[in-house]
Amino acid sequence: MIRFEGVTKVYDTITALRHVTFTIEKGEFVYITGPSGAGKSTLLKLIYLAERPDSGNISIAGWDYKSLKEKAVPYLRRNVGVVFQDFKLLPNKTVYDNIAITLRIRGFKEREIKERVYEALKMVNLRHKADAYPPTLSGGEQQRATIARAIVGEPTILIADEPTGNLDADNAAGIMRIFRNIHSKGTTVVFATHNRELFRNTGMRVLRLDSGNLVADEIG
Amino acid sequence: MRYPLKVALKSLWLERWINLLSILSIGVGLFILGFVGFILYNVEGLTKGAPERLTITVFLKDEIPRTDIQRVIDSVKKRAFVKSVRFISKEEALEELKEALRESAYLVEGIDENPLFASLVIRLKGDGLNKKDLDAFLASLRKEKIVDEVIFGEEVMNKLLGVITNVKIGVVVVGLLFCVAIVFICYSTVKMLFYRRKEEVEIYKLLGATKGFIRSPFLFEGLLLGLGGGIIASIGNLLVSKFLEELSNPTLPFMRYVVMPEEIVILLPLIGMTLGVVGSAIALGKIRY
Ligand SMILES: Nc1ncnc2c1ncn2[C@@H]1O[C@H](COP(=O)(O)OP(=O)(O)OP(=O)(O)O)[C@@H](O)[C@H]1O
Ligand SMILES: [Mg+2]
Repeated sequence: MIRFEGVTKVYDTITALRHVTFTIEKGEFVYITGPSGAGKSTLLKLIYLAERPDSGNISIAGWDYKSLKEKAVPYLRRNVGVVFQDFKLLPNKTVYDNIAITLRIRGFKEREIKERVYEALKMVNLRHKADAYPPTLSGGEQQRATIARAIVGEPTILIADEPTGNLDADNAAGIMRIFRNIHSKGTTVVFATHNRELFRNTGMRVLRLDSGNLVADEIG
Repeated sequence: MRYPLKVALKSLWLERWINLLSILSIGVGLFILGFVGFILYNVEGLTKGAPERLTITVFLKDEIPRTDIQRVIDSVKKRAFVKSVRFISKEEALEELKEALRESAYLVEGIDENPLFASLVIRLKGDGLNKKDLDAFLASLRKEKIVDEVIFGEEVMNKLLGVITNVKIGVVVVGLLFCVAIVFICYSTVKMLFYRRKEEVEIYKLLGATKGFIRSPFLFEGLLLGLGGGIIASIGNLLVSKFLEELSNPTLPFMRYVVMPEEIVILLPLIGMTLGVVGSAIALGKIRY
Protein backbone atom coordinates (compact mmCIF):
# COMPACT_ATOMS: atom_id res chain seq x y z
CA MET A 1 0.00 0.00 0.00
CA ILE A 2 2.84 2.41 0.91
CA ARG A 3 6.39 1.83 -0.24
CA PHE A 4 9.44 4.05 0.36
CA GLU A 5 12.64 3.21 -1.51
CA GLY A 6 15.79 5.07 -0.46
CA VAL A 7 13.82 8.27 0.11
CA THR A 8 15.78 11.39 1.02
CA LYS A 9 14.26 14.77 1.83
CA VAL A 10 16.40 17.85 2.37
CA TYR A 11 15.20 21.25 3.64
CA ASP A 12 17.85 23.83 2.76
CA THR A 13 20.67 22.51 4.97
CA ILE A 14 18.72 20.03 7.12
CA THR A 15 18.33 16.46 5.94
CA ALA A 16 14.89 15.63 7.35
CA LEU A 17 14.93 12.05 5.96
CA ARG A 18 17.96 10.08 4.83
CA HIS A 19 17.66 7.10 2.52
CA VAL A 20 14.54 5.70 4.16
CA THR A 21 13.19 2.36 2.92
CA PHE A 22 10.09 0.49 4.19
CA THR A 23 6.83 -1.03 3.05
CA ILE A 24 3.42 -0.85 4.73
CA GLU A 25 0.86 -3.44 3.62
CA LYS A 26 -2.83 -2.88 3.13
CA GLY A 27 -4.76 -2.97 6.41
CA GLU A 28 -1.70 -2.53 8.63
CA PHE A 29 -1.60 -0.21 11.66
CA VAL A 30 1.87 1.31 11.83
CA TYR A 31 3.27 3.74 14.38
CA ILE A 32 5.98 6.19 13.38
CA THR A 33 7.96 7.34 16.38
CA GLY A 34 11.10 9.22 17.30
CA PRO A 35 12.12 12.39 19.12
CA SER A 36 11.03 15.84 18.06
CA GLY A 37 12.65 16.82 14.76
CA ALA A 38 13.32 13.19 13.83
CA GLY A 39 11.39 13.53 10.57
CA LYS A 40 8.00 11.99 11.44
CA SER A 41 5.89 14.80 9.96
CA THR A 42 8.14 14.95 6.92
CA LEU A 43 7.60 11.24 6.27
CA LEU A 44 3.82 11.69 6.48
CA LYS A 45 3.89 14.79 4.25
CA LEU A 46 5.63 12.74 1.60
CA ILE A 47 2.76 10.23 1.75
CA TYR A 48 0.05 12.82 1.17
CA LEU A 49 2.20 14.68 -1.37
CA ALA A 50 2.53 17.91 0.57
CA GLU A 51 6.27 17.47 0.03
CA ARG A 52 8.27 15.91 -2.80
CA PRO A 53 11.27 13.65 -2.20
CA ASP A 54 14.70 14.84 -3.32
CA SER A 55 15.70 11.32 -4.24
CA GLY A 56 14.37 7.80 -4.01
CA ASN A 57 10.91 6.63 -4.97
CA ILE A 58 7.55 6.47 -3.25
CA SER A 59 4.57 4.39 -4.27
CA ILE A 60 1.16 4.83 -2.69
CA ALA A 61 -1.99 2.78 -3.32
CA GLY A 62 -0.47 1.55 -6.55
CA TRP A 63 0.47 5.02 -7.76
CA ASP A 64 4.14 5.43 -8.49
CA TYR A 65 5.33 8.85 -7.45
CA LYS A 66 7.81 9.21 -10.31
CA SER A 67 5.28 8.55 -13.05
CA LEU A 68 2.44 10.34 -11.29
CA LYS A 69 0.88 13.04 -13.44
CA GLU A 70 0.16 16.42 -11.86
CA LYS A 71 -3.50 15.96 -12.75
CA ALA A 72 -3.72 12.76 -10.69
CA VAL A 73 -2.53 14.39 -7.46
CA PRO A 74 -5.99 15.41 -6.15
CA TYR A 75 -7.39 11.95 -6.83
CA LEU A 76 -4.52 10.29 -4.99
CA ARG A 77 -5.04 12.63 -2.04
CA ARG A 78 -8.69 11.59 -1.85
CA ASN A 79 -7.47 8.09 -0.96
CA VAL A 80 -5.48 9.48 1.94
CA GLY A 81 -7.24 10.96 4.97
CA VAL A 82 -4.97 13.16 7.07
CA VAL A 83 -5.17 14.29 10.68
CA PHE A 84 -2.77 17.23 10.59
CA GLN A 85 -0.51 17.99 13.53
CA ASP A 86 -1.71 21.61 13.42
CA PHE A 87 -5.35 20.60 12.66
CA LYS A 88 -5.78 22.96 9.70
CA LEU A 89 -9.41 23.66 10.56
CA LEU A 90 -10.91 26.79 8.99
CA PRO A 91 -11.80 29.12 11.89
CA ASN A 92 -14.59 30.92 10.02
CA LYS A 93 -16.48 27.77 9.07
CA THR A 94 -18.56 25.59 11.34
CA VAL A 95 -17.37 22.13 12.32
CA TYR A 96 -20.01 20.75 9.96
CA ASP A 97 -18.74 22.78 6.99
CA ASN A 98 -15.12 22.00 7.80
CA ILE A 99 -15.91 18.31 7.47
CA ALA A 100 -18.39 18.66 4.60
CA ILE A 101 -15.83 20.38 2.37
CA THR A 102 -14.00 17.06 1.97
CA LEU A 103 -17.11 15.64 0.29
CA ARG A 104 -18.00 18.81 -1.63
CA ILE A 105 -14.58 18.59 -3.22
CA ARG A 106 -15.55 15.09 -4.36
CA GLY A 107 -18.82 16.38 -5.81
CA PHE A 108 -21.22 14.66 -3.39
CA LYS A 109 -24.85 15.78 -3.18
CA GLU A 110 -25.68 17.87 -0.10
CA ARG A 111 -28.14 15.23 1.15
CA GLU A 112 -25.54 12.53 1.19
CA ILE A 113 -22.97 14.92 2.61
CA LYS A 114 -25.26 15.61 5.56
CA GLU A 115 -25.73 11.92 6.25
CA ARG A 116 -22.02 11.14 6.11
CA VAL A 117 -20.86 14.19 8.07
CA TYR A 118 -23.22 13.36 10.96
CA GLU A 119 -22.09 9.77 10.88
CA ALA A 120 -18.42 10.85 11.09
CA LEU A 121 -19.26 13.28 13.90
CA LYS A 122 -20.99 10.49 15.77
CA MET A 123 -17.90 8.30 15.47
CA VAL A 124 -15.78 10.95 17.19
CA ASN A 125 -18.58 11.84 19.59
CA LEU A 126 -18.91 15.45 18.42
CA ARG A 127 -22.44 15.63 17.00
CA HIS A 128 -23.45 18.28 19.48
CA LYS A 129 -20.73 20.59 18.20
CA ALA A 130 -21.68 20.48 14.51
CA ASP A 131 -22.62 24.15 14.41
CA ALA A 132 -19.77 25.41 16.56
CA TYR A 133 -16.77 27.27 15.17
CA PRO A 134 -13.35 25.63 15.77
CA PRO A 135 -11.90 28.46 17.89
CA THR A 136 -14.68 27.86 20.44
CA LEU A 137 -13.73 24.17 20.81
CA SER A 138 -11.35 22.61 23.31
CA GLY A 139 -8.10 21.10 22.06
CA GLY A 140 -9.50 17.58 22.27
CA GLU A 141 -12.66 18.60 20.40
CA GLN A 142 -10.64 20.25 17.63
CA GLN A 143 -8.58 17.10 17.45
CA ARG A 144 -11.72 14.98 17.02
CA ALA A 145 -13.17 17.38 14.43
CA THR A 146 -9.97 16.94 12.45
CA ILE A 147 -10.28 13.17 12.72
CA ALA A 148 -13.90 13.34 11.52
CA ARG A 149 -12.78 15.32 8.49
CA ALA A 150 -10.06 12.75 7.75
CA ILE A 151 -12.40 9.76 7.89
CA VAL A 152 -15.55 11.21 6.32
CA GLY A 153 -14.29 10.46 2.81
CA GLU A 154 -13.69 6.80 3.74
CA PRO A 155 -10.01 6.86 2.66
CA THR A 156 -8.02 3.68 2.11
CA ILE A 157 -5.14 5.19 4.08
CA LEU A 158 -5.55 7.21 7.27
CA ILE A 159 -2.61 9.29 8.36
CA ALA A 160 -2.40 10.90 11.78
CA ASP A 161 0.30 13.27 12.96
CA GLU A 162 0.41 13.41 16.77
CA PRO A 163 -3.37 13.19 17.09
CA THR A 164 -3.06 12.82 20.85
CA GLY A 165 -0.48 15.54 21.42
CA ASN A 166 -1.33 17.78 24.39
CA LEU A 167 -4.26 15.58 25.40
CA ASP A 168 -4.83 14.06 28.84
CA ALA A 169 -4.72 10.28 29.14
CA ASP A 170 -8.51 9.84 29.02
CA ASN A 171 -8.90 11.90 25.87
CA ALA A 172 -5.92 10.15 24.30
CA ALA A 173 -7.42 6.75 25.07
CA GLY A 174 -10.71 7.86 23.48
CA ILE A 175 -8.92 8.90 20.33
CA MET A 176 -6.97 5.63 20.21
CA ARG A 177 -10.29 3.78 20.34
CA ILE A 178 -11.51 5.76 17.31
CA PHE A 179 -8.40 4.82 15.35
CA ARG A 180 -8.62 1.14 16.27
CA ASN A 181 -12.27 1.19 15.25
CA ILE A 182 -11.42 2.64 11.83
CA HIS A 183 -8.54 0.21 11.45
CA SER A 184 -10.84 -2.69 12.20
CA LYS A 185 -12.86 -1.71 9.12
CA GLY A 186 -9.84 -2.39 6.91
CA THR A 187 -8.27 1.05 6.67
CA THR A 188 -4.49 1.27 6.59
CA VAL A 189 -3.39 3.54 9.45
CA VAL A 190 -0.08 5.39 9.79
CA PHE A 191 0.15 7.03 13.18
CA ALA A 192 3.00 9.34 14.19
CA THR A 193 3.66 9.92 17.88
CA HIS A 194 6.54 10.49 20.24
CA ASN A 195 4.47 8.97 23.08
CA ARG A 196 5.70 5.41 23.70
CA GLU A 197 2.78 4.70 26.03
CA LEU A 198 0.46 4.60 23.03
CA PHE A 199 2.08 1.60 21.35
CA ARG A 200 3.74 -0.21 24.25
CA ASN A 201 2.53 -3.79 24.37
CA THR A 202 0.04 -3.30 21.54
CA GLY A 203 1.78 -5.80 19.32
CA MET A 204 1.60 -3.26 16.49
CA ARG A 205 4.42 -2.41 14.15
CA VAL A 206 6.58 0.60 15.07
CA LEU A 207 8.99 2.47 12.75
CA ARG A 208 11.52 4.43 14.75
CA LEU A 209 13.18 7.53 13.26
CA ASP A 210 16.16 9.41 14.60
CA SER A 211 17.62 12.50 12.93
CA GLY A 212 16.11 11.47 9.61
CA ASN A 213 17.33 7.87 9.72
CA LEU A 214 15.04 4.88 10.01
CA VAL A 215 16.72 3.19 13.00
CA ALA A 216 14.24 0.45 13.93
CA ASP A 217 11.32 -1.51 12.51
CA GLU A 218 9.92 -3.42 15.49
CA ILE A 219 6.82 -4.65 17.29
CA GLY A 220 5.56 -2.45 20.12
CA MET B 1 -21.90 24.29 -10.48
CA ARG B 2 -24.17 25.36 -7.62
CA TYR B 3 -21.53 25.09 -4.91
CA PRO B 4 -18.87 27.38 -6.46
CA LEU B 5 -21.58 29.93 -7.22
CA LYS B 6 -22.66 29.83 -3.60
CA VAL B 7 -19.07 30.26 -2.43
CA ALA B 8 -18.59 33.15 -4.86
CA LEU B 9 -21.74 34.93 -3.68
CA LYS B 10 -20.77 34.45 -0.06
CA SER B 11 -17.28 35.79 -0.66
CA LEU B 12 -18.67 38.77 -2.57
CA TRP B 13 -20.92 39.49 0.38
CA LEU B 14 -18.16 39.11 2.97
CA GLU B 15 -16.04 41.70 1.18
CA ARG B 16 -19.04 43.69 0.06
CA TRP B 17 -17.57 47.20 0.32
CA ILE B 18 -14.48 46.44 -1.69
CA ASN B 19 -16.56 44.52 -4.20
CA LEU B 20 -19.11 47.30 -4.44
CA LEU B 21 -16.27 49.69 -5.20
CA SER B 22 -14.98 47.35 -7.90
CA ILE B 23 -18.44 46.93 -9.41
CA LEU B 24 -18.89 50.71 -9.48
CA SER B 25 -15.48 51.21 -11.12
CA ILE B 26 -16.26 48.51 -13.67
CA GLY B 27 -19.67 50.13 -14.14
CA VAL B 28 -18.08 53.51 -14.87
CA GLY B 29 -15.59 51.91 -17.25
CA LEU B 30 -18.29 50.01 -19.10
CA PHE B 31 -20.52 53.08 -19.13
CA ILE B 32 -17.82 55.05 -20.90
CA LEU B 33 -17.22 52.09 -23.19
CA GLY B 34 -20.93 52.06 -23.98
CA PHE B 35 -20.97 55.82 -24.48
CA VAL B 36 -18.03 55.64 -26.85
CA GLY B 37 -19.87 52.91 -28.76
CA PHE B 38 -22.90 55.15 -28.79
CA ILE B 39 -20.83 57.97 -30.31
CA LEU B 40 -19.46 55.61 -32.96
CA TYR B 41 -22.95 54.38 -33.77
CA ASN B 42 -24.25 57.90 -34.22
CA VAL B 43 -21.26 59.12 -36.21
CA GLU B 44 -21.84 56.19 -38.55
CA GLY B 45 -25.50 57.09 -38.77
CA LEU B 46 -24.74 60.75 -39.39
CA THR B 47 -22.16 60.22 -42.05
CA LYS B 48 -23.61 57.23 -43.78
CA GLY B 49 -26.02 59.34 -45.83
CA ALA B 50 -23.60 62.14 -46.48
CA PRO B 51 -21.82 60.87 -49.60
CA GLU B 52 -25.18 60.03 -51.15
CA ARG B 53 -26.09 63.63 -50.98
CA LEU B 54 -22.92 64.58 -52.77
CA THR B 55 -22.71 64.31 -56.53
CA ILE B 56 -19.84 64.50 -58.95
CA THR B 57 -20.51 66.70 -61.91
CA VAL B 58 -18.35 65.98 -64.95
CA PHE B 59 -18.46 68.65 -67.65
CA LEU B 60 -17.76 67.28 -71.07
CA LYS B 61 -16.07 68.94 -74.01
CA ASP B 62 -18.18 70.02 -76.98
CA GLU B 63 -18.77 67.95 -80.12
CA ILE B 64 -18.03 64.53 -78.71
CA PRO B 65 -19.36 61.39 -80.38
CA ARG B 66 -22.09 59.68 -78.38
CA THR B 67 -20.11 56.40 -78.40
CA ASP B 68 -17.22 57.97 -76.46
CA ILE B 69 -19.64 59.29 -73.88
CA GLN B 70 -21.29 55.91 -73.57
CA ARG B 71 -17.90 54.27 -73.05
CA VAL B 72 -17.13 56.59 -70.11
CA ILE B 73 -20.60 56.05 -68.65
CA ASP B 74 -20.11 52.29 -68.80
CA SER B 75 -16.74 52.42 -67.10
CA VAL B 76 -18.11 54.70 -64.39
CA LYS B 77 -21.05 52.40 -63.76
CA LYS B 78 -18.65 49.54 -63.09
CA ARG B 79 -17.36 51.18 -59.90
CA ALA B 80 -18.81 49.56 -56.81
CA PHE B 81 -19.44 52.80 -54.99
CA VAL B 82 -21.28 54.52 -57.86
CA LYS B 83 -25.01 54.58 -57.35
CA SER B 84 -26.09 56.16 -60.63
CA VAL B 85 -24.86 58.09 -63.66
CA ARG B 86 -27.01 60.49 -65.62
CA PHE B 87 -26.08 62.09 -68.88
CA ILE B 88 -27.31 65.64 -69.41
CA SER B 89 -26.97 66.95 -72.93
CA LYS B 90 -26.44 70.61 -73.80
CA GLU B 91 -30.12 70.91 -74.70
CA GLU B 92 -31.32 69.31 -71.52
CA ALA B 93 -29.03 71.56 -69.56
CA LEU B 94 -30.61 74.57 -71.17
CA GLU B 95 -34.11 73.25 -70.49
CA GLU B 96 -33.18 72.73 -66.88
CA LEU B 97 -31.76 76.18 -66.63
CA LYS B 98 -34.95 77.66 -68.08
CA GLU B 99 -36.98 75.58 -65.71
CA ALA B 100 -34.90 76.78 -62.81
CA LEU B 101 -35.13 80.41 -63.81
CA ARG B 102 -38.82 80.16 -64.70
CA GLU B 103 -40.07 83.76 -64.31
CA SER B 104 -36.73 85.11 -65.36
CA ALA B 105 -36.60 82.76 -68.34
CA TYR B 106 -36.46 85.75 -70.63
CA LEU B 107 -32.85 86.10 -69.60
CA VAL B 108 -31.89 83.14 -71.71
CA GLU B 109 -34.57 83.67 -74.36
CA GLY B 110 -32.49 85.73 -76.66
CA ILE B 111 -29.49 83.50 -76.81
CA ASP B 112 -29.32 81.54 -80.01
CA GLU B 113 -26.15 79.60 -79.37
CA ASN B 114 -26.37 77.27 -76.36
CA PRO B 115 -23.55 78.35 -74.01
CA LEU B 116 -23.95 75.37 -71.68
CA PHE B 117 -21.98 72.13 -71.53
CA ALA B 118 -23.11 68.56 -71.66
CA SER B 119 -22.37 66.81 -68.39
CA LEU B 120 -22.47 63.57 -66.41
CA VAL B 121 -24.00 63.61 -62.96
CA ILE B 122 -22.64 60.82 -60.80
CA ARG B 123 -24.25 59.84 -57.53
CA LEU B 124 -22.29 57.85 -54.92
CA LYS B 125 -23.26 55.14 -52.51
CA GLY B 126 -22.75 55.92 -48.84
CA ASP B 127 -21.10 52.76 -47.69
CA GLY B 128 -18.01 51.06 -48.98
CA LEU B 129 -16.51 54.41 -49.86
CA ASN B 130 -12.95 55.25 -48.94
CA LYS B 131 -10.73 58.18 -49.66
CA LYS B 132 -8.14 56.31 -51.68
CA ASP B 133 -10.60 54.78 -54.13
CA LEU B 134 -12.46 58.04 -54.46
CA ASP B 135 -9.28 59.98 -55.25
CA ALA B 136 -8.23 57.40 -57.82
CA PHE B 137 -11.67 57.57 -59.39
CA LEU B 138 -11.60 61.36 -59.66
CA ALA B 139 -8.09 61.29 -61.13
CA SER B 140 -9.13 58.76 -63.76
CA LEU B 141 -12.12 60.89 -64.72
CA ARG B 142 -9.91 63.92 -65.17
CA LYS B 143 -7.60 61.97 -67.48
CA GLU B 144 -10.43 61.12 -69.88
CA LYS B 145 -10.03 63.01 -73.19
CA ILE B 146 -13.69 63.93 -73.40
CA VAL B 147 -13.72 65.44 -69.92
CA ASP B 148 -13.35 69.15 -69.55
CA GLU B 149 -13.75 69.61 -65.83
CA VAL B 150 -14.74 67.60 -62.79
CA ILE B 151 -16.56 69.38 -60.00
CA PHE B 152 -16.86 67.70 -56.65
CA GLY B 153 -16.80 68.84 -53.08
CA GLU B 154 -13.55 67.02 -52.56
CA GLU B 155 -12.34 69.12 -49.73
CA VAL B 156 -15.54 68.60 -47.82
CA MET B 157 -15.68 64.91 -48.65
CA ASN B 158 -12.06 64.29 -47.71
CA LYS B 159 -12.46 66.12 -44.46
CA LEU B 160 -15.54 64.12 -43.66
CA LEU B 161 -13.90 60.81 -44.48
CA GLY B 162 -10.84 61.87 -42.49
CA VAL B 163 -12.95 62.77 -39.49
CA ILE B 164 -14.80 59.46 -39.66
CA THR B 165 -11.53 57.54 -39.76
CA ASN B 166 -10.10 59.52 -36.84
CA VAL B 167 -13.24 59.08 -34.79
CA LYS B 168 -13.17 55.34 -35.45
CA ILE B 169 -9.49 55.05 -34.47
CA GLY B 170 -10.14 57.14 -31.37
CA VAL B 171 -13.09 54.98 -30.41
CA VAL B 172 -11.13 51.76 -30.80
CA VAL B 173 -8.17 53.11 -28.78
CA VAL B 174 -10.36 54.47 -26.00
CA GLY B 175 -12.42 51.26 -26.01
CA LEU B 176 -9.32 49.07 -25.71
CA LEU B 177 -7.91 51.23 -22.92
CA PHE B 178 -11.11 50.88 -20.96
CA CYS B 179 -11.22 47.12 -21.56
CA VAL B 180 -7.69 46.83 -20.18
CA ALA B 181 -8.66 48.99 -17.20
CA ILE B 182 -11.69 46.80 -16.46
CA VAL B 183 -9.64 43.63 -16.72
CA PHE B 184 -7.16 45.19 -14.31
CA ILE B 185 -9.86 46.08 -11.79
CA CYS B 186 -11.17 42.50 -11.84
CA TYR B 187 -7.63 41.20 -11.68
CA SER B 188 -6.72 43.14 -8.56
CA THR B 189 -10.02 42.47 -6.83
CA VAL B 190 -9.88 38.72 -7.40
CA LYS B 191 -6.18 38.67 -6.53
CA MET B 192 -7.03 40.26 -3.20
CA LEU B 193 -9.91 37.85 -2.59
CA PHE B 194 -7.60 34.98 -3.45
CA TYR B 195 -4.91 36.09 -1.02
CA ARG B 196 -7.48 36.46 1.74
CA ARG B 197 -8.44 32.84 1.18
CA LYS B 198 -4.97 31.50 0.50
CA GLU B 199 -4.91 29.37 3.64
CA GLU B 200 -8.30 27.92 2.80
CA VAL B 201 -7.15 27.10 -0.71
CA GLU B 202 -4.02 25.36 0.61
CA ILE B 203 -6.18 23.19 2.86
CA TYR B 204 -8.57 22.36 0.01
CA LYS B 205 -5.62 21.20 -2.06
CA LEU B 206 -4.51 18.83 0.71
CA LEU B 207 -8.05 17.48 0.95
CA GLY B 208 -7.96 16.56 -2.72
CA ALA B 209 -9.52 19.55 -4.49
CA THR B 210 -8.90 19.84 -8.23
CA LYS B 211 -7.73 23.06 -9.86
CA GLY B 212 -11.20 23.50 -11.29
CA PHE B 213 -12.78 23.29 -7.84
CA ILE B 214 -10.35 25.90 -6.52
CA ARG B 215 -10.64 28.21 -9.50
CA SER B 216 -14.35 28.21 -10.20
CA PRO B 217 -15.54 30.32 -7.22
CA PHE B 218 -13.00 33.01 -8.12
CA LEU B 219 -13.96 32.93 -11.79
CA PHE B 220 -17.60 33.26 -10.74
CA GLU B 221 -16.63 36.22 -8.60
CA GLY B 222 -14.96 37.92 -11.55
CA LEU B 223 -17.96 37.10 -13.71
CA LEU B 224 -20.40 38.54 -11.17
CA LEU B 225 -18.29 41.69 -10.70
CA GLY B 226 -18.34 42.20 -14.47
CA LEU B 227 -22.04 41.45 -14.67
CA GLY B 228 -22.80 43.93 -11.88
CA GLY B 229 -20.72 46.61 -13.58
CA GLY B 230 -22.36 45.83 -16.90
CA ILE B 231 -25.85 46.22 -15.49
CA ILE B 232 -24.94 49.54 -13.90
CA ALA B 233 -23.41 50.73 -17.16
CA SER B 234 -26.47 49.65 -19.15
CA ILE B 235 -28.79 51.54 -16.86
CA GLY B 236 -26.53 54.59 -17.02
CA ASN B 237 -26.41 54.53 -20.78
CA LEU B 238 -30.15 54.09 -21.10
CA LEU B 239 -30.73 57.07 -18.83
CA VAL B 240 -28.30 59.23 -20.79
CA SER B 241 -29.82 58.26 -24.14
CA LYS B 242 -33.32 58.98 -22.80
CA PHE B 243 -32.08 62.37 -21.73
CA LEU B 244 -30.51 63.06 -25.13
CA GLU B 245 -33.65 61.92 -26.91
CA GLU B 246 -35.71 64.36 -24.89
CA LEU B 247 -33.25 67.09 -25.77
CA SER B 248 -33.03 66.23 -29.43
CA ASN B 249 -35.28 68.12 -31.74
CA PRO B 250 -36.66 66.09 -34.63
CA THR B 251 -36.72 69.19 -36.82
CA LEU B 252 -32.96 69.46 -36.55
CA PRO B 253 -31.71 66.87 -39.01
CA PHE B 254 -28.52 66.35 -37.01
CA MET B 255 -30.26 65.46 -33.78
CA ARG B 256 -32.58 62.95 -35.38
CA TYR B 257 -29.71 60.51 -35.45
CA VAL B 258 -29.11 60.49 -31.71
CA VAL B 259 -30.28 57.02 -30.77
CA MET B 260 -29.00 54.31 -28.44
CA PRO B 261 -28.82 50.87 -30.00
CA GLU B 262 -30.94 48.55 -27.88
CA GLU B 263 -28.35 45.75 -28.02
CA ILE B 264 -26.23 47.73 -25.60
CA VAL B 265 -28.40 46.48 -22.72
CA ILE B 266 -27.22 42.93 -23.36
CA LEU B 267 -23.83 43.79 -24.80
CA LEU B 268 -22.41 45.70 -21.83
CA PRO B 269 -23.14 42.99 -19.23
CA LEU B 270 -21.75 40.41 -21.66
CA ILE B 271 -18.56 42.40 -22.19
CA GLY B 272 -18.36 42.94 -18.42
CA MET B 273 -18.66 39.22 -17.69
CA THR B 274 -16.05 38.33 -20.30
CA LEU B 275 -13.57 40.91 -19.03
CA GLY B 276 -14.29 39.85 -15.44
CA VAL B 277 -13.53 36.22 -16.15
CA VAL B 278 -10.38 37.16 -18.09
CA GLY B 279 -9.20 39.37 -15.21
CA SER B 280 -9.76 36.68 -12.60
CA ALA B 281 -8.16 33.98 -14.74
CA ILE B 282 -5.03 36.14 -14.97
CA ALA B 283 -5.18 36.81 -11.22
CA LEU B 284 -5.34 33.09 -10.39
CA GLY B 285 -2.46 32.25 -12.69
CA LYS B 286 -1.15 28.74 -12.64
CA ILE B 287 -2.31 26.68 -9.67
CA ARG B 288 0.06 24.00 -8.45
CA TYR B 289 -0.83 21.09 -6.22
N1 LIG C 1 9.42 23.44 5.82
C1 LIG C 1 10.57 23.22 6.43
N2 LIG C 1 11.66 24.00 6.16
C2 LIG C 1 12.84 23.78 6.75
N3 LIG C 1 13.06 22.81 7.62
C3 LIG C 1 12.04 22.00 7.95
C4 LIG C 1 10.75 22.16 7.37
N4 LIG C 1 9.93 21.20 7.87
C5 LIG C 1 10.67 20.49 8.71
N5 LIG C 1 11.94 20.94 8.76
C6 LIG C 1 13.02 20.39 9.56
O1 LIG C 1 13.12 19.01 9.27
C7 LIG C 1 13.36 18.25 10.43
C8 LIG C 1 12.27 17.21 10.62
O2 LIG C 1 11.05 17.87 10.87
P1 LIG C 1 9.70 17.12 11.17
O3 LIG C 1 8.61 18.12 11.23
O4 LIG C 1 9.54 16.03 10.17
O5 LIG C 1 9.97 16.51 12.59
P2 LIG C 1 8.99 15.68 13.55
O6 LIG C 1 9.62 14.36 13.75
O7 LIG C 1 7.63 15.71 13.00
O8 LIG C 1 9.05 16.53 14.88
P3 LIG C 1 7.86 16.81 15.96
O9 LIG C 1 7.79 15.58 16.82
O10 LIG C 1 8.37 17.97 16.72
O11 LIG C 1 6.63 17.07 15.20
C9 LIG C 1 13.42 19.25 11.58
O12 LIG C 1 14.77 19.51 11.87
C10 LIG C 1 12.75 20.49 11.03
O13 LIG C 1 13.33 21.63 11.60
MG1 LIG D 1 5.84 16.54 13.52
